[in-house]
Order: sequence, then structure tokens, then C-alpha cells
Amino acid sequence: MRASDFSVRQPVVIDCAATTADAAALMAAQGVGALIVVDHDRPVGIVTDRDIVTRGIARNIAADARVDSLMTTGLIALDSHAELEELMHVFMHHAIRRVPIVDHDRVIGVVSMDDVLVWLANNMIDITNVMAAQIMFPHGNEAPPVPAPL
Amino acid sequence: MHASVGDEVVIGGHRVGMPMRRGEVLEVRGADGSPPYLVKWEESGRATLLFPGPDCLVHHSGEAVTS
Repeated sequence: MRASDFSVRQPVVIDCAATTADAAALMAAQGVGALIVVDHDRPVGIVTDRDIVTRGIARNIAADARVDSLMTTGLIALDSHAELEELMHVFMHHAIRRVPIVDHDRVIGVVSMDDVLVWLANNMIDITNVMAAQIMFPHGNEAPPVPAPL
Repeated sequence: MHASVGDEVVIGGHRVGMPMRRGEVLEVRGADGSPPYLVKWEESGRATLLFPGPDCLVHHSGEAVTS
């Protein structure tokens, strides 16, 4: 399982000079909770709906403030061929919930922790179904296998 | 920002209690030393791509700290 297999959503980007209000409107229009902030098409950060609330509204930052004043800088990303284990490691050690996926240094998608949890939950259901079947229809008292004649 | 293979990058903690992160530049993906960089993090020994922000410092090998 590769990180890029989760990346079902196209990244939504916003210019670093855009306003916080622009960012909020773009999130609403695109139905996303995070935007990749770019400067001349180069990623420089990420801003989330939570950033707008906690770093903006809660501190009386005007809606026409630049979005890069609220964004998280130092964007941690993974190559598209990175494995799930690397993705989990980034979530754990960098304390972030979204990881941009990059192909040839271009952001091709964003994987959120939610995406991974949904995938894990679906896999757990499949495993649970197998276990439930074994509990409901036990294969007890089976005769031992008969060795094949020499 | 410019970096070379072998340089050290340092990022300050973004939240209270979050430690500074240090890493070594393994690859420079941009032209003329520009980002993104493939960085091996000291804490974990793992490598990720880094698009550095203004709070990222680069320690060039044998040189003073620059931003």
C-alpha cells in the first residue's frame, strides 16, 4: 500500500498573498479543510480551517490578513512511492494530520490521517467478518489430516 | 533558501513543548540548491521531503548559520 493510493483528493492550492477570507471561501467552495499555500507555484505551507479559527478569529486577526500569516510552514511531504509505514511514521513523529504527496516535486494530492483511519477501519471489518464466520461456524472435531501414502 | 547535500536543517517547534527538529539534507530537488529537500531527520532516522518555511535554518557545512 503506497501513500499515493490514499491520495484520492486533488490538492487545493492558494497563493500566499491571498487573504484569510479568500482561503475560507475556497475551503467552502471546494469542500476541503486544508489548502496548500504556494508562492509562485512552489509550496511554502499549509493552512487549515482550524488555523483560521485558532490563529485568526480567536486572536482578532482581520479577515483581510494574508493567509501566510496563519499557515503552518515547513511543509513535510512524501514521494508518491512512499509506503504506508512511512506515512504512519510522518503522522506520528511530525505531529501533523495531513501529508502532501509529491510526484516530481509537484504536489499531486494530500493524504489525511482520516483517510488512513477509514482504510484501516475497512480492513478491520474484513478481518472481523472472517473471525465472526469462524466463531459462528466452528470447524471443531475435525479429523486430523491423513498423510498421503508413500 | 539554498542548501547542499550534507547541510543541516533546523526547524523550531511550532507549538509549545514541541522540540526543534534537525536533519541532514540528502538530496536537493530544486534548481541551484533551492527546495524541496530530501531530509533525514535526526530524531527518527527517516527521510521526508521538506518545503522549508521562514523558520527553517540551514547550517552549511563549515559555515555560520543562515536563514
